[in-house]
Amino acid sequence: MYRISGRDVSAQGGGGGGGGGGPSSATANNSWVSPTSVSTSGKRIQREITEFSMDPPPDCSAGPKGDNLYHWVSTIIGPSGTPYQGGIFFLDIIFPSDYPFKPPKVAFKTRIYHCNVDSAGNLSMDILKDSWSPALTITKVLLAVRSIFTNPDPYNPQIPGIAHLYLADRAKHDELAAEWTRRFAK
Amino acid sequence: MAGKDPIQKEPNPVGTAAAGQSLESLFSPRFKSAAAMAGWDEESILLASLIVEDTPDRDFKQRKRSDPLFKTPPSNSSRRKRRVQRRSPMPATVLNLDEDEPSKKEVNDNKKSESQVAVKEEEKKKSEKKDEEGNKENSEASCSNAVFPCLDKLRAELSCAICLEICYEPSTTSCGHSFCKKCLRSAADKCGKKCPKCRQLISNGRSCTVNTVLWNTIQLLFPQDVEARKSAMVLNSREATNREIPRERAVVNNETRRLSRGLNPSRQGRPLGHNQIQNSGTSQRLQRGEFMWLSSRDGDDDDGVGRRRGGQNEGGESALSRRVERGEELARLLRREAESRGRRRTTREVTSVVPSQDGDAALAFRLQRQEFMEAFREPDEGRQGGRSGLQSARANLRAMASRAVNVRSRGGQYM
Repeated sequence: MYRISGRDVSAQGGGGGGGGGGPSSATANNSWVSPTSVSTSGKRIQREITEFSMDPPPDCSAGPKGDNLYHWVSTIIGPSGTPYQGGIFFLDIIFPSDYPFKPPKVAFKTRIYHCNVDSAGNLSMDILKDSWSPALTITKVLLAVRSIFTNPDPYNPQIPGIAHLYLADRAKHDELAAEWTRRFAK
Repeated sequence: MAGKDPIQKEPNPVGTAAAGQSLESLFSPRFKSAAAMAGWDEESILLASLIVEDTPDRDFKQRKRSDPLFKTPPSNSSRRKRRVQRRSPMPATVLNLDEDEPSKKEVNDNKKSESQVAVKEEEKKKSEKKDEEGNKENSEASCSNAVFPCLDKLRAELSCAICLEICYEPSTTSCGHSFCKKCLRSAADKCGKKCPKCRQLISNGRSCTVNTVLWNTIQLLFPQDVEARKSAMVLNSREATNREIPRERAVVNNETRRLSRGLNPSRQGRPLGHNQIQNSGTSQRLQRGEFMWLSSRDGDDDDGVGRRRGGQNEGGESALSRRVERGEELARLLRREAESRGRRRTTREVTSVVPSQDGDAALAFRLQRQEFMEAFREPDEGRQGGRSGLQSARANLRAMASRAVNVRSRGGQYM
């Protein structure tokens, strides 16, 4: 059905049958078919779409890019009162086949001057890595992303130089961030 | 004798007094003298009092008798229905206007007071009951509408944070958060043994138990969701087992063919008589033995049934003639069985070779059991069937066997 639905099934089978549940053990457990199999992740993502459209977080939008349920595009409008104010930032969201048990990959497509976002758009957020929880939804993730606009985390930086500037000279940092927003996000 | 009963049953204190005390205390001397002047003796006075006491009770009895009628509305006479329809509109509109539970209570109170007034008017009572029955649907519909926003909140509250659907077989962590059992298990496997909601350590994600209270609540509140999820599960698992089913069916058909052949000895051209009956009795016993053998593999059915059936061997002969009447019932049972089997198949989670055989054994078992039960219940009536009864019984048996095969092949469409 979808591009990675084939991988999806085997990944699900590994979870219930094996111990650790990585893709490698999944192939060994292929004979055991999980009753909840075919697309647990697909169903969940579909639910998230409806929930998101019913109650979207402020200044955010998100949805599948094309007919691929696992590849979303999202926009966040820079919150007012920050140097990112007025900018429209595009994000790519790619759901893994064993979502929600693995975090989605979220990356900025729009360039941004931010200590937690590197030049490739990758985010250094703990909830998108080790602190991921299957109870988190894309709504919550986008809210978390939006919160780093207002509260950058210089102690867990992706780009240490910007983090340093943020701590040492906040005014200069904000000026640069606003300049980048004007150039890339408007 | 007939008059004695109502007095004892009568809740009225006068009635109990009459039963317990002598005639003197019951009637005043003046009344007795008046009765004497009218030419009544004590006996007739007592009889008259009994008749007087009797009437409300007779009313009561009639009401009681009418109750089961109302549980099956179609059996009502058209006249009564018409009368009920004439009466029903008033309370019905009241219910339609109010939609909340408190108002429902009010209506109930109204009903109570009304029924107090109308104790002796059984017809009124009848119409009210009819209303109650008819309005149950109304109130349910309006109730669900009124409760709807609340139901939405409940849905959000009772859904699993992992799959975002209504919790299926919810399992509660030590920190008090509930998820679908399967979701929690997968989360513990893939994301570590931490609660997905609060990240507290959960002791053992693999040995999670279902929170029965929560599960029952969910099943009561969202039966459709649960049903949909269940069938979706079976759909998935059925794909895996689809290959095995044809083989099962072949085995089953062989079984029935063998059974119908087992009945054939009674077809041989011997004179009809007691001998014949015995013969068919033995064939039945053979058959029963086969069923016993089948049922011994049947894990679902209880042993008590088998023992009970063993005790009904004596009823077996008369069962033959009873079958004439019971043929239709059995056919119905078969049909129902086929339907329920189709349904059961969708609800069964673990499908392998065994379950379907079990189902067929159980079907045969049930057919057999019902037949014997019928024979046991009315053996005398059955014996009057005579020769023609025996012949038609044989024909019926053959028809039954072929019907069983037909039903099974028809039932195959469900699979």
